[in-house]
Amino acid sequence: MVEKKQPKVQVRNLTKKFGDLLVLNDISFDVQAGEFLCIVGPTGCGKTTFLNSLTKLYEPTAGEILLDGEPVDLKKHNIAYIFQEYSTMPWLTVEENVRFGLDIKGVEKQKANKLVDEYLDIVGLTKYRKYYPDQLSASMLQRVVIARAFATQPELLLMDEPYGQLDIQLRYHLEDELISLWQRTGTTVIFITHNIEEAVYLGQRILVLTNKPTSIKQAIDNDLPRPRKIASPDFVKLRNEVTDLIKWW
Amino acid sequence: MIDSTTNSRFTNKQLIIIYTIISLVCLLIVWELVARFTSASMFLPPASEVLTAFFRSFAEPIGQHTMLFHVGISLYRVAVAFLFATVIGIALGVGMGYSRLFEAIFKPLFEFIRPIPPLAWIPLSILWFGLSDTGKFFIIFLGCFCFITVNTYDGAKNVDPELMGAARMLGANERQVFFKIVLPSSVPYIFAGLQIAVTAGWSAVVGAEMIQSNEGVGWVIIRGMSTGNTVQIMVGIVAIGIVGFILANLTSALERRLCAWNAQKGI
Repeated sequence: MVEKKQPKVQVRNLTKKFGDLLVLNDISFDVQAGEFLCIVGPTGCGKTTFLNSLTKLYEPTAGEILLDGEPVDLKKHNIAYIFQEYSTMPWLTVEENVRFGLDIKGVEKQKANKLVDEYLDIVGLTKYRKYYPDQLSASMLQRVVIARAFATQPELLLMDEPYGQLDIQLRYHLEDELISLWQRTGTTVIFITHNIEEAVYLGQRILVLTNKPTSIKQAIDNDLPRPRKIASPDFVKLRNEVTDLIKWW
Repeated sequence: MIDSTTNSRFTNKQLIIIYTIISLVCLLIVWELVARFTSASMFLPPASEVLTAFFRSFAEPIGQHTMLFHVGISLYRVAVAFLFATVIGIALGVGMGYSRLFEAIFKPLFEFIRPIPPLAWIPLSILWFGLSDTGKFFIIFLGCFCFITVNTYDGAKNVDPELMGAARMLGANERQVFFKIVLPSSVPYIFAGLQIAVTAGWSAVVGAEMIQSNEGVGWVIIRGMSTGNTVQIMVGIVAIGIVGFILANLTSALERRLCAWNAQKGI
């Protein structure tokens, strides 16, 4: 990596208290442009609070989050989010759902059409573009949400356990799809999960969080070659390493 | 697969139509028999007589006009009032559902007016609007506006916060959240409200036309009452029933068309 380059995301001393309860304790880290960062931690360790502070849904008690050196502003910065819930608009067709973010951002019509076509094709939903969400399966809905997020060509993509509700097979499939989308677009991704295997499978770097009050226990670089094999010795070794870090018993 | 479902739905539809016809025919037969062969005949003209008079009323005027005109003028009154009720009801409902401040200001007023039956307003309406059509619009308006408001309010209150969050995170401002999320997701509720309201408005027409009028289906009934013409009363009732039935079906057909996304769930 180039030495002088400014990190895409800078988290500086992020602290969040709910009343007296300290949830996030002085978290600092950087994310480089184009990086795929996974954040793992024990269940209930404040991962979601962390994300919500990142997105300004909660005002942090102290500290700041900078995107390209500036405080995060959802109206200005192009950040996309993907959650566990399939937040598709039931009154819009697949195609209109994918276009939704582009309309919000006022992308010019022809360009929007092109992007919609492109991302529908990438997630394999071109055939279903006129369908309503009610007619689709869970994995297809999640793909709609993914296409909607990527179509806006975000500078930063935040994912909060997006595959938590899917069965294992679909999860593997969508994870691979995500990796290929990420490689193709070069988007910066922060992926939050409690699933260690998922984190090791996806992440270029893995941040392990502690229990509440949450801080960063360790950052692990993950150079395993892709496509990664979950049964390979290196994979298992890294997975065990992360697991040991997370154990609080 | 799609073929088989539409096929089975089609036969289902046919069955429903057949049952409806059977039930109607039974009603008419019982009515006819009771009116002909029991002492009820003193108060209840037989079905055949009422239906004959009903069909004749399309050719021969009741009062100064034929039935088509009476129905038309009543529909016109309902339409005008319904239009106002729709605009005001949706605006008020969405407003109350979306904005706390708006809710605090208007909800108590609305809850106060809501339980008052439209007919209770007739004396005041005569006082305020005289015997003009305005008074009739007012009564019908009161008869349907509450349903639209309540339903729209429910719809706007029940917007999925996930969706609003998703829109905000895509950078939507409040105006966009309102027009792109709150309003469209309230549409099925609004339609349910419109459906009840159009029927309620149509039934309020009798009350409205009790205020001095010379035409309209309500007038047909009131006139029948004051001249002791039971058949004419029944003819008016039949006309109101049939038009009400058609209106209800038209609105639900319109709903199926406009809320295709929501209809999927129901089937």
